[in-house]
Amino acid sequence: MIRTFNALSALLCYPQIDLQAAIPEIRTVLAGEAVLTPAQIAAVQPLLERMETSDIYDLQEAYVLLFDRSRTLSLNLFEHIHGESRDRGGAMVDLLETYRAGGFDLVGPELPDHLPVLLEFLSTQALTDARGLLADAGPILAVLAERLARRETPYAAVLAALADLGQAASDTEVAAALLAESDDDPEDLAALDAVWEEAQVTFAPDPNAGCPISRDILAKIDAPLRPASA
Amino acid sequence: MSHLLDRLNFLKSTRQDTFADGHGQTTIESRDWEEVYRNRWRHDKIVRSTHGVNCTGSCSWKIYVKSGIVTWETQQTDYPRTRPDMPNHEPRGCARGASYSWYLYSANRVKTPLVRGRLMRLWREMRKTMTPVAAWKAIQADPAKRDSYTKTRGKGGFVRADWEEVTEIIAAANAYTTKTYGPDRVFGFSPIPAMSMVSYAAGSRYLSLMGGTCMSFYDWYCDLPPASPQTWGEQTDVPESADWYNSSFMILWGSNVPQTRTPDAHFYTEARYRGAKSAVVSPDYSEAAKFGDIWLNPQAGTDAALALAFGHVILREYHLDRQVPYFEDYTRKYSDFPLLVRLDEKDGRYVPGRMLRAADFTDGLGEANNPDWKTVGIDSKTGDIVAPNGSIGFRWGENGYWNLEERAGEQAIELSSTLILDEDHDDVVGVDFPYFGGAATEHFTRCDHPDVLTRSIPVRRLKLKDGDALVTTVFDLFCANYSLDRGLGGDNVASSYDADVPFTPAWAEKITGVKADRIIAVAREFATNAEKTNGKSMVILGAGLNHWYHMDMAYRGIINMLVMCGCVGQSGGGWSHYVGQEKLRPQTGWTALAFALDWARPPRHMNSTSAWYAHTDQWRYETVTAGEIVSPTAPAGNWAERSLIDYNIQAERMGWLPSAPQLKTNPLDVGRAAKAAGKTAAEFVAEGLKSGTLEMSCEDPDAPENWPRNLFVWRSNLLGSSGKGHEYFLRHLLGTDHGMLGKDLGEEGRIKPVEAKWHDTAPEGKLDLLVTLDFRMSTTCVYSDIVLPTASWYEKDDLNTSDMHPFIHPLQAAVDPAYESKSDWEIFKAIAKKFSEVAPEVLGVEDDVVSLPMQHDSPGELAQPFVADWKAGECELIPGQTAPNYIAVERDYPNLYKRFTALGPLMEKVGNGGKGIAWDTKVEVHHLQDLNGQVSDEGVTQGMARIDTAIDACEVILMLAPETNGDVAVKAWNALEKITGREHAHLAAAKQDEKIRFRDIAAQPRKIISSPTWSGIESEEVSYNAGYTNVHELIPWRTLSGRQQLYQDHEWMRAFGEGFVTWRPPVDLKTIAPAMVQTGGDKHVVLNFITPHQKWGIHSTYSDNLLMLTLNRGGPVVWMSEVDAQKAGLADNDWVEVFNSNGVLTARVVVSQRIKEGTLFMYHAQEKIVNTPGSQITGKRGGIHNSVTRTVLKPTHMIGGYAQLSYGFNYYGTVGSNRDEFVIVRKMDKVDWLDTPASTKEAAE
Repeated sequence: MIRTFNALSALLCYPQIDLQAAIPEIRTVLAGEAVLTPAQIAAVQPLLERMETSDIYDLQEAYVLLFDRSRTLSLNLFEHIHGESRDRGGAMVDLLETYRAGGFDLVGPELPDHLPVLLEFLSTQALTDARGLLADAGPILAVLAERLARRETPYAAVLAALADLGQAASDTEVAAALLAESDDDPEDLAALDAVWEEAQVTFAPDPNAGCPISRDILAKIDAPLRPASA
Repeated sequence: MSHLLDRLNFLKSTRQDTFADGHGQTTIESRDWEEVYRNRWRHDKIVRSTHGVNCTGSCSWKIYVKSGIVTWETQQTDYPRTRPDMPNHEPRGCARGASYSWYLYSANRVKTPLVRGRLMRLWREMRKTMTPVAAWKAIQADPAKRDSYTKTRGKGGFVRADWEEVTEIIAAANAYTTKTYGPDRVFGFSPIPAMSMVSYAAGSRYLSLMGGTCMSFYDWYCDLPPASPQTWGEQTDVPESADWYNSSFMILWGSNVPQTRTPDAHFYTEARYRGAKSAVVSPDYSEAAKFGDIWLNPQAGTDAALALAFGHVILREYHLDRQVPYFEDYTRKYSDFPLLVRLDEKDGRYVPGRMLRAADFTDGLGEANNPDWKTVGIDSKTGDIVAPNGSIGFRWGENGYWNLEERAGEQAIELSSTLILDEDHDDVVGVDFPYFGGAATEHFTRCDHPDVLTRSIPVRRLKLKDGDALVTTVFDLFCANYSLDRGLGGDNVASSYDADVPFTPAWAEKITGVKADRIIAVAREFATNAEKTNGKSMVILGAGLNHWYHMDMAYRGIINMLVMCGCVGQSGGGWSHYVGQEKLRPQTGWTALAFALDWARPPRHMNSTSAWYAHTDQWRYETVTAGEIVSPTAPAGNWAERSLIDYNIQAERMGWLPSAPQLKTNPLDVGRAAKAAGKTAAEFVAEGLKSGTLEMSCEDPDAPENWPRNLFVWRSNLLGSSGKGHEYFLRHLLGTDHGMLGKDLGEEGRIKPVEAKWHDTAPEGKLDLLVTLDFRMSTTCVYSDIVLPTASWYEKDDLNTSDMHPFIHPLQAAVDPAYESKSDWEIFKAIAKKFSEVAPEVLGVEDDVVSLPMQHDSPGELAQPFVADWKAGECELIPGQTAPNYIAVERDYPNLYKRFTALGPLMEKVGNGGKGIAWDTKVEVHHLQDLNGQVSDEGVTQGMARIDTAIDACEVILMLAPETNGDVAVKAWNALEKITGREHAHLAAAKQDEKIRFRDIAAQPRKIISSPTWSGIESEEVSYNAGYTNVHELIPWRTLSGRQQLYQDHEWMRAFGEGFVTWRPPVDLKTIAPAMVQTGGDKHVVLNFITPHQKWGIHSTYSDNLLMLTLNRGGPVVWMSEVDAQKAGLADNDWVEVFNSNGVLTARVVVSQRIKEGTLFMYHAQEKIVNTPGSQITGKRGGIHNSVTRTVLKPTHMIGGYAQLSYGFNYYGTVGSNRDEFVIVRKMDKVDWLDTPASTKEAAE
């Protein structure tokens, strides 16, 4: 059992009094298991401190604002790749079956793609398998880490650590594409404007530009089938 | 995924295992590729459900579920067939509904109960030492504590809560409010029960058992066309969409069928393939315009002028110059054309007065029962004055003559519609008609005609009880009103269509911009088709007309066309108003459950328009005076001296409109005091009101005792979608940041109301608690104190019907509610349970006093033949007759939960009914006890039928409603037969044994059973069409005359110039001048602001769905013409600010040739929570479409106690119009997303 994952799972859950009480234990686990590097553990410290010292209502308000209310920070991972597309239901079923194959059933109100759920499952797996699964989610984790960092919230460190464990970095191609593509974050004005830009519609095939297929066809028509006899 | 390497490309296996005598063959190729498809489309069950959204679609869908997760959905295609030669209803559905399963797991879903953090902190602090009600009291008693959470509404700061705790806060707030101010200060707003009946009923049942106020919606949404109750005494009844197919000429008028009635649009195209012709009337080149054989594009808001010109042509060519026998016969039997109207003399001039009544004659024409309410005509056979059967006086107090047979009592008659022949009239006199065209603002064409038009009318002189009087027929006045020259001499009439006289095609061309020849052509085709087909001409009309302040004029203009051509009540013809999903087919079964009529009657109902107008203080900013809209021909009276809220107060006082709150004193205290004094509630309140010890709340809406204190919003996005005067809601009701730019009457030094008490400082933050139930974080949720996560449409059991098709079908829980959400039924049940635990701290069994206005479809509709105000000393205060009735109702607060979950005793003792008829339900109560089981717990409900689950609740509705229980249908028809004296039960007899249960509709949608609740029938012969039973069964319309009432003779109707239809230009709301300073000299343009329904959402639902956002432009947009864009220096996709003194909104502009110059479109209702930047003017986030609107009341909608003009919940009353609004549009040079951390606690995050 990799308790580091349990600890990170707990940190990403809605903060309650019992979580505040468990912070020393989380420290011990992180240091003891050393699944995270010392640097990663150090990076998580500000969050741990905040959890320990802040007013619980402030913590809760902050959590709701970040994770319940901001679509781009949702902890439901498939929000970021499937969004509201039809594939989402199927993807969740797949994940659920992964849990079942691992010998677990999902109880409680959360959906299978909720990150703390996934982390709890990882805690029951061998570290290499866990890393493998994290790697699958790597680009999403990297993007979330990046977005949280932009908001200057200490939660960013948890996501950064997870992304590192899955050996993903935000500069990979997938993550870059994701960052550019699905960012409807109202904070990112340029990205938002890009989404709004509409491509110009061309109504007639233009042999000089336009659709490559029609261009090729037209080019063929232009070219004589057989060279004219001299 | 090509499986290239798994496949044999060059070789074929020789292994040939065969079976089934060589017909089968086993191969050993890899079939893994099939997994792709298996996985993609896998499911372990399919469940029928639908989308419970405010849409008339009501489409049945298949929901595919795998491992408790919805994976996809497809349209159901198993609707019962129509009948041979007609297309079926299926397939139904649209892109919006098809995107729903994806919405189910959206990140925008509300996952757990949320409470404003500051409130939660206070609550827990108080609860450490105090009981729940005491804790709530302590928070409310300390202004600093109360402000700490009310002033942060809309600024984030939510924390999660568990159900136990959150229901306790709500229950404590409700109990405290009930005890301190009265249960009528607990308001609940939820719209459109037809879309999910039990979910609506959950909240309204809880409120009704408590004595809380259920607020109306259909009128507030301005979907109610008041012209319908005015003409027919019916809220709205329309043909099913299949009947379009039976039509051969259709006018689509301000209704965009392909875009907003997507699942039904196929009937429109099919009808056109069949050969039907179609004219489309729409200012913009809408999607519907593309379907039209002819497109007429009048200036928005001038539709009444167009309708009047159509009517002018129809009258001239089909009623006067040539008389079409079918039209003559129809209007004589089914309209008020032949009835007599008295002419009133005023300063030597004549104006149309009241309709003549039997009571006006010395002998009362032999009518002893209700002679004041029996209209009169001339029998052409004998020349006698008779009181024909069917007028409303026959409906109450006697049996057998309330029918449309051509009889007066037993005597056969044939009424004559006109006195035009020389031997029929004694004289020809000039009669005055008002003309309002001169009141048009600079945005509309003003024609130079006098404001009073005198026209010649043939009259007869009659000797009446109070002396000689001149009388004439409605038809003769009607023709004069349309300015038709009938050879009687005099001015202001036309014999040529080219004459510049109001209501000719040439006149209409000037007003509307539509060419006269096109008007004439369409009028002729419409009428000729009706002549050839006996009425198969139809008008499909919609919000484009109904959302104007003077909507009644456009509507009545169109209704007149239909009635003149005999189209109403004929299959393939008639009036098709598809605005709002008003049709709750099993209505009378539902009302019993929803308003807890099984436990106590009457419930507290309130018309929302008047309530919000008062409680959001929109009245304090009123720019329209009664003087601007009163008629120059008004009867004597101080019409212009009162403001619009004064009219509303008078209407409440006289028992016309309801009140909420009702009295300044807590009604529980009133009940207790009445009991102690040994008086009935009515006596006690009447004395108190006369002596001044009791005051009506409406007279002082800003006094803290009269504020609404708690508000539940469920199944609705009140603040994000329907809240006209959005910024007024924010400022006064909620007490938070707002974007209002205007000043109130006091600040501006204008004339204040005379009846409404003025406070120099307006209250801000009237609500103690705002609770919203929703599955997504809507704008309303964002502003709430408590947000409860509700089950979505694939997660609950419920019922769904529509006006567009005759089927009833279910919503079903395909999966459990996601996260911690619960169905509305379970949520209100949980609140009820907690309330019963908490309430005994301050409440026991109490005597509540409920005030009730005179109700339509009850004897109360005969209460006031003349207008008399008791407060002005014009009559005695008699509850239920000259004032609201006051009725004692017992509330058992500790047992509220037990009552909620059991069918109470009144269904057995008193029975059930609706629309003026009643029947016994003992048998059905016993059947329900067998079906749902009996309550076994000891207590007040032991042995009663259980209503525990939502399915139990569905069964209550289905068992009690005539539409879903054949036995009840037959009983209901039998009850009506007594009153009409005719046999009707044959309409349901064949279905008497049919009993539709929840499990039946789960298997397949079921067609409902014909019932007297509705005016059409379900049959194998005709499609459903409104007015069918009036015309074919001779059941009167529920109006004064019992006929289609084209003349409105109530004193207030005449005062405001709407006795007959006329042209009234949009009102001047004066919101531009005070805001003009904000342009700072920038280029700008002033445009008419209208809010049609969109393609990418159903109101605000789906509008935040990424798929729909992608299909649209991804955020709020407004549409304008190229010309206007040029004027304002705008290019497509520029950010603009749209504003007037009501507020500001920000959006991108779409520049399109589609839009007519002078108009700005903003699709209703794009959410503030998506991509809305800050406004440069206010520095706050831009508002929604309703930020630039404010609602304005109309006195004619307040009339009550007068036949069809009597109050009914969602039936008659003030409406929230919003299209007369103008706005300033200018480019934003700085787009600020308000995303700096310091102010991040903004509504949109």
